[in-house]
Amino acid sequence: MLFNSIQFIIFFVIVIHFFFIVPPKYLLSLLLISSCYFYMAFIPIYILILGVTILIDYAAGLLLEKIQGPTRKLFLIVSIIANIGVLAVFKYYDFISENLLLAFKSFGYEYSLPSLSLLLPVGLSFHTFQAMSYTIEVYRGRQKAERNLGTYALYVLFFPQLVAGPIERPQHLIPQLVQNHSFDYRRIVEGLRLILWGFFKKLVIADRLAIYVNWAYNDPLSQSGITLAVATIFFAFQIYCDFSGYSDIAIGTAKVIGINLMINFNRPYFSKNFTEFWRRWHISLSSWFRDYLYIPLGGNRVSMFRLYGNLFIVFLLSGFWHGAHWTFIVWGLINGFYLMFSLMTSKLRQKVVRVVGLEQFPKTHQFLQIIFVFSLVCLAWIFFRARNLTEAITILKKILLFDGPFDYGNFSLMVFSLFGIGLLVLVELKEEYGRKGLLFLSNPNGIVRKLSYVILIVIILLIGVFDGGQFIYFQF
Amino acid sequence: MKIHKMSKLKHNSISYFYFQITLLLAVVVIFDFIAGETLRYFYFRQGSGEQSRTTYAIEKATEEIIIFGSSRAYSHYNPAIFESHLKLSSYNFGRIGYFIPYHYAVLKALLARVKPKIVILDLTNNEFEKKQEDFEKLSALLPYYKTHPEIRPVIELKSPYEKLKLFSKSYPFNSLILSIIAGNTDFHRDRDIHLKGHAPWRKNLEEPLKIVNTSKKYTLDPVKIELFESFIRECQRTDIRLFIICSPYFIKFTHKDPSVHLGEEIARKHQVDFWDYSQNPLFLGTQSFFADPRHLNEEGSRIYSEIIAKNIRGRLGSVL
Repeated sequence: MLFNSIQFIIFFVIVIHFFFIVPPKYLLSLLLISSCYFYMAFIPIYILILGVTILIDYAAGLLLEKIQGPTRKLFLIVSIIANIGVLAVFKYYDFISENLLLAFKSFGYEYSLPSLSLLLPVGLSFHTFQAMSYTIEVYRGRQKAERNLGTYALYVLFFPQLVAGPIERPQHLIPQLVQNHSFDYRRIVEGLRLILWGFFKKLVIADRLAIYVNWAYNDPLSQSGITLAVATIFFAFQIYCDFSGYSDIAIGTAKVIGINLMINFNRPYFSKNFTEFWRRWHISLSSWFRDYLYIPLGGNRVSMFRLYGNLFIVFLLSGFWHGAHWTFIVWGLINGFYLMFSLMTSKLRQKVVRVVGLEQFPKTHQFLQIIFVFSLVCLAWIFFRARNLTEAITILKKILLFDGPFDYGNFSLMVFSLFGIGLLVLVELKEEYGRKGLLFLSNPNGIVRKLSYVILIVIILLIGVFDGGQFIYFQF
Repeated sequence: MKIHKMSKLKHNSISYFYFQITLLLAVVVIFDFIAGETLRYFYFRQGSGEQSRTTYAIEKATEEIIIFGSSRAYSHYNPAIFESHLKLSSYNFGRIGYFIPYHYAVLKALLARVKPKIVILDLTNNEFEKKQEDFEKLSALLPYYKTHPEIRPVIELKSPYEKLKLFSKSYPFNSLILSIIAGNTDFHRDRDIHLKGHAPWRKNLEEPLKIVNTSKKYTLDPVKIELFESFIRECQRTDIRLFIICSPYFIKFTHKDPSVHLGEEIARKHQVDFWDYSQNPLFLGTQSFFADPRHLNEEGSRIYSEIIAKNIRGRLGSVL
């Protein structure tokens, strides 16, 4: 069940309606049943896999709390292996098998593993990471093991964030699940406002841009460098609006229920350097890697050489997390390289800024930094979006040659795309540098605010793409 | 103080929330109605553009020879040549990027009004490939859903929720606002030059002959195949002479495309003329006849239309 589907709207209205009327003691059960139904709307049988990992992690949590000594670590490892194992079989098995075959072939050996060609359970990487954060936190003693199996199951299955995050932490989500959720008009309106804005981002911007991006990227050889450059910039906005739009709907849905999920995007394209970018982009995943991989590897308190090595590992795994494909791995590595390079050259760049005199024009300096980071992020997106590495390199070459002519495709498509991007930039500029809140949607004047809801809904009806595909991050 | 507390409680009640939501939805319905009816009015007033051609096909066309197909039909069949050879009026219903689900719906709408003598259906490679987007494109027919009950079952193939979505008055005109504006102005005057629905492509191909491996099978869509058969049956039921033709490609294919192969078999089963010109030696690899590897240019379409018109005349002879 996709968020941008009629089924979800009907499902959401029914769940919320019941949420308002059932007695508080049944709320947890209501949410758990709704979440199971939501998940089973994709491939029903896969709920069993999730059920098994939930049981393992639940038991591991209890044992980790109870037992002391070296066996404690063993239970953590068992839980992690169970989670990673499911991920490995469903997501990485075929990729590893294909690449082993190629590697053996290059040495003249014939070797093959049977192909599984399994359909990936939706959002597997997300709920696996969320489940792992629970056992790790219990192991670290920062989270009490959950006694109630239903509560723990809901922590993993909670439908607003089940299939594409934000990847929550147990300390933040579990206490909220067991709290009493009284009716709060303001909170509900805030949630619905966020859902509306999420739909706008997904239907009006992301899915519209996707039409141009797909057209250009599906036949890169026939496209000019300028066309591909525009398609790449469009993809940067597409993926941002697709994923942050999903996150807004997820956070808004949870808010209506009375649960605050963590923020996942914080206007990342206003970042002035790559460290800042990763603090603003897919925050729940970046912080997961920071807390459970980067810091345990030594974090910043190691030699420069090891620091670069740690960054390399984190970004390699981050790329691999996104998908079992070389394009994602290269995308991860490019981003790792950006971060390493920016750390290496930080003093030199400060010196250049002083010499050139940019220090005296902080706004111009800031603007140039934003454009520079955005351009490099776009170059990395080429690898994320291209169908394979060969095509990615072809696209990159063509963009760098910047040859024409520019093919805008369809006039309406281009106008709607630019309108969507323009409105997004306007809203984010206001949020970044002005008063917080979504432009007219948060206007203190009630009439302006309500009228802006209506206008936004009518804009979605008039120029939203209703036949667009699923959210990009659902595949991960 | 007490009053203030009461009003605060009221503003935090479920009934107040439902009241606000109902009010908002009512305003949205009014805005949607106004936007939808305004767009409907201007949609059907368009004098140019592809939507006005679709309106012509569905609501006005009375020609005796009708050509159906995608961009290849649109650019390959010159109605003027058919008219001069066959002495029958002709119109090209071809629409860029639209395939059998769309053609079948337009045929149904046409047959609800008039009965042409000859129908030509241009079949392309990959015509029956399973692709949801070909059904999504049926949204081009949503403006006609209200007034043309005969096409509703086809439009509903788009998604099971289409009826529900059509409660919105502006939904049928989703994403059309700019083209409606263009169709109501002179915007298309110099761009949308067509001759009875046909637009010759005025450029020459410069790339050499390409051989494309077409041995790879793709998934065939049983719904599209059924619509193709229904198209044939509708023509036979109404005594229309149907010609199914696969027009020339510049590209050489290693194997016959599965859709063309299946189309030929179905045509044979229904005893309908099926002509495969996809690899015709006169056109195959001849740069001067093509605008791109899949589309004939003006010269190519003229020669090709002459050949098809003569063949139809030869086939029908004294019947005409």
